[in-house]
Formats: sequence, structure tokens, C-alpha cells
Amino acid sequence: MKMLSLRNLGKTYFDPYAGAHVTAVHDVSLDVEPGEFISVVGPSGCGKTTILNMIAGFIPYSKGDILLDGKPVHGPGPERGVVFQSFALFPWKTVLDNVGFGPKMRGVPKAERDRIAREYLALAGLSHAAHRYPNELSGGMQQRVGVVRALANNPDVLLMDEPFASVDAQTRMTLQEELTRIWQERKPTVIFITHDVAEAVFLANRVVVLSKGRVLDQIAVDLPRPRVWDDLVKDDRFKQLSARVLQMVRAA
Amino acid sequence: MQVTGSLKGRSSRLIRSVNSLLGAAMFVAPLLALVAIWAVVVPLFNVNPRVFPSVGAVGAAALDSIRDGTLFAHVGASLLRVGLGTLIGIATAVPLGIAMGVSPTVAAFLTPLFRFFSVLAGIAWIPIATLWFGYGFGAIVFVIFNAVFFVVAYNTLLGVRTIPHTLRNAAASLGAGRWALLTEVLLPGALPNIVTGIRTGLGFAWRGLIAAEMIATNVGLGYMLFVARDFYRTEVIVFGMIVIGVLWLLIDRLLLVPLERATIERWGMVRRA
Ligand SMILES: Nc1ncnc2c1ncn2[C@@H]1O[C@H](COP(=O)(O)OP(=O)(O)OP(=O)(O)O)[C@@H](O)[C@H]1O
Ligand SMILES: [Mg+2]
Repeated sequence: MKMLSLRNLGKTYFDPYAGAHVTAVHDVSLDVEPGEFISVVGPSGCGKTTILNMIAGFIPYSKGDILLDGKPVHGPGPERGVVFQSFALFPWKTVLDNVGFGPKMRGVPKAERDRIAREYLALAGLSHAAHRYPNELSGGMQQRVGVVRALANNPDVLLMDEPFASVDAQTRMTLQEELTRIWQERKPTVIFITHDVAEAVFLANRVVVLSKGRVLDQIAVDLPRPRVWDDLVKDDRFKQLSARVLQMVRAA
Repeated sequence: MQVTGSLKGRSSRLIRSVNSLLGAAMFVAPLLALVAIWAVVVPLFNVNPRVFPSVGAVGAAALDSIRDGTLFAHVGASLLRVGLGTLIGIATAVPLGIAMGVSPTVAAFLTPLFRFFSVLAGIAWIPIATLWFGYGFGAIVFVIFNAVFFVVAYNTLLGVRTIPHTLRNAAASLGAGRWALLTEVLLPGALPNIVTGIRTGLGFAWRGLIAAEMIATNVGLGYMLFVARDFYRTEVIVFGMIVIGVLWLLIDRLLLVPLERATIERWGMVRRA
């Protein structure tokens, strides 16, 4: 597991229609410890997606550095797994082959990558769906596949951009509980982007609040684990923390 | 649970096979109706057989050509030409279309050219094909290749360009290199458009084949129609036309439709017809 550091990271887009430069990220520095779960919140347009896409290597950055164990990263790579809001499953592959895709790219033989994929599907309670195609699954199931597909590749960092935004409220709570359980079992480093304050606090060890392309503040979340919604909705500490984060986001 | 599951599976399979029988009946019914009208109209108005044959005469012509083997010679020759031209067309067009789709600049530059040649594909190339290849096999295969090539290449290009960018990003962040991106994402992602291209291209090719065979050869379905005309054998002409239509339907039903069922329909990339 490796340490991820953002050093004075900045991104300026050129908008060809307006003919103007837009600075989406001004100056962001952040150190993420191995095995840490970080939530990033902030008002719409504050640069959350831009930061995640730079870490994932989907877009180049304009200034600063992104370091993984001290080495700069450029372009996408399997050591940084991504879970997409739109799921981005391959429609032409079965669930099993979607989850086995990362191992396949590493050259893992078929039998072994099927074994890995089945292990991760079991982790998400999806063993029965192994041979179905993504279009035959509900949104919640598709995103479970999206999460374990990224995990099955054993990334150093797992990047998630509002992954549960497009599923219904009940399913979302279940997915959040599953994610905390899986995280506790595997301890991947996670950067989780959301604009749902309760979600951010529920999942994370640390919540980073962004404002206009800068880090406004960071709040440690020392709630005990395992976390389940039935307990936390009644928990005073959870309510206090959520209220504090919410205040910051609204002031941001 | 297990029992009801399998019962449900069995009854839905039964429903599906009844449905497909019904579908076949619905498909054949209008064709049978047409034959029935034909069987009534020709004797009723006492149509001159040099203008249009009776059902019986066409049936007799069919039996003759089956008995003396000429039908199989013509069908075999035509199918071989179509098969070969189509295979060469697909095998060259798909890689080219993908290569074009990968680079936006190349795609933008070549798109007008491919639109232009897609319209010209097939028949319009017969004269120059006979100059290049002489009268015979080469010219006909070239016309078919040409009909398939431009349409399939253009559709493949479109297909690659419509693949959502997040899928490429997903593959790259799972460790896919350039080659894996091509084979695992771009090719299957473009398949709905490729199949559309093959369907359209085969339609052009089939028409091009008949036209080319009328001019450039001495065997094949087009040749069969053309020679029969010289002897006022309308029953042979009509039989040949029926064979051409039926062969096309068979190619569609036995080759293209099952291919679509097993791939793009299964994957939910197009609506079930
Ligand atoms: N490709 C682009 N070209 C020009 N400007 C862009 C581009 N992508 C994003 N921006 C701008 O950069 C800023 C930050 O966008 P970003 O998508 O990172 O915000 P976000 O925090 O993810 O917002 P949301 O919560 O709505 O998803 C916005 O002002 C946006 O308009
Ligand atoms: Mg965003």
C-alpha cells in the first residue's frame, strides 16, 4: 500500500466556447495515508471531479504534483482504481468477466482470475449474478459490480466520484454499509467524492471540505466501526460532526 | 423455490417456441397470399406466358433446374462470390474503421470520402471493375468487396466514435494497454454499428452481384436471369427472382439475426426487434 500526496495541485481549463481560461482547482495539497478513507465534499463546481480525474490520470494537471509513494503519476494506471458514477461496466462482458478484467490485463490465467472474481462477487453478495450481463442487473447491483471490479485489481488507491448518486435512497444506504464493511475487511486507501454530507461522515476517517478549488478545512471522524445506519442516526457524535461539515459546506 | 423456478423456465421456453412458430407463420403468410393472388390472376386474365408465367410453369422450371443441377451451379457460384467478397470486405473494413475512429483528426478527414464512396458502392463500379479484372470472377468479387467495404468501414468508424468515453477510461484504469483497448473495448463497443454496416453492405452486395453477373460471367443467378430473357423464358426469370429473394431472407434470418441475438441484443445495446 502506498502513500498518495497532492502538492499544490492546480488545474486551469480552456473553454473554447467562451474563449477564456477557467481555473477549477487553484491550490490543493493533501496527504492520504495508506488504508485511509477520505471523503471530499464541497459545493457544486468547487473542483471535486476535476481533482479526482487528475489523480485517475484522465486529464493532465496544470501545476503542482501528484505523488504515489513519492513518484509522480501521469495518465491512468491500475494502481489507481476508479468507480464511476455511471458505473461504466462493459455491456458485452458478463459480471464475472467485468470483475476479472483487471486481473486479465495483468495476465492472470483464466481459471485464476475467475476464482478472484468469484471471491469479490461473494464479498458484494453477487455470486448468483456471475453469468448475467450488466443490462440484466438493477442499478444498485451494477454499482456493486463497479466497486468490486475496481477492488479485484488490488489498487493502491480507490477513487470514487459520487458512485451512489444515481441509486435510490434505500439501496444507497445498503451500499454505504457494504462499502464500510468491505473497507474494514480489505483496508484499501479510498478517496470518496460526494455532496451528501451524511454519506461523507458515515464512510470516512477524515472529511475534506473544498471551496472554490482550495481545501477549506478537514475534519477527523472518530466514530467507531463497524458503522450501520440504525445506530448512527441516533448517535449524537455523528449528528454533531454532520452538522459541522454541513455548516462548512454551506459557508464555502 | 427450485421447483417453481424450473417450471417457470420450462413454461417460458414453451411460450418462446410457440411465439417463434407464430412469428414464422406471420412471416410466411403475406408471401403465401401473394402466391395465391398470382395463382388466381394469371389464368383469370389469360396472361400471355411471354409476359408473366403461371405458378405451375414456374414450379416446373424449378423442378427442371433442380433435376439437371443447373440451379445448384448458379446458386453455388453466386454464393461463393458473395461470401468471398463480403469476407474480404469485412476483414479489411473493420480494422480500418477502428483505426480511423481512434484518431479524431483522421476520422474528420476521411468521413466525407467514405460518405461519398458509400453512395457509389457496388453497381456503379461494375464497368471499371471489368476493365481492371476482365470479365469473370475477379470483377464480380471486387464489386461485392467494394459494396461491403465502404459501408462497413464508415459504420465501424461511427461505432467507435459513439463509445462512451468513460468506458475507455474504465479500461485504462484497470490496466488495459493500447491493444487491449482495441480488442476489449473498441471492437465490441462498435459492434452494433458494424452489424448495421454489414446488413446494409450485404444488401448493396447482393444487388451488385446480380447486376455484375448479368454482364461479366457465364454462371450465377444474374446470368441465369439474363439468358432466360433471350429465350422469353419468363418462368425461369421469375423462378430466379424468387431464389434471389429467398436466399437473401435466409442469409438474414440464419446468419445476421442469430448473430445479433447472441451479441448486441443480449448485451442490451440495441432493442430486441
Ligand atoms: N472540460 C472542462 N472545460 C472547461 N471547464 C470545465 C471543464 N470541466 C469542469 N470545468 C469547470 O471547472 C469547475 C469545476 O468543475 P468540477 O466538475 O470539478 O466540479 P465538481 O466539484 O465536481 O461539481 P459537482 O458537484 O457539480 O459535480 C466548474 O466551474 C466547471 O464549470
Ligand atoms: Mg463532479
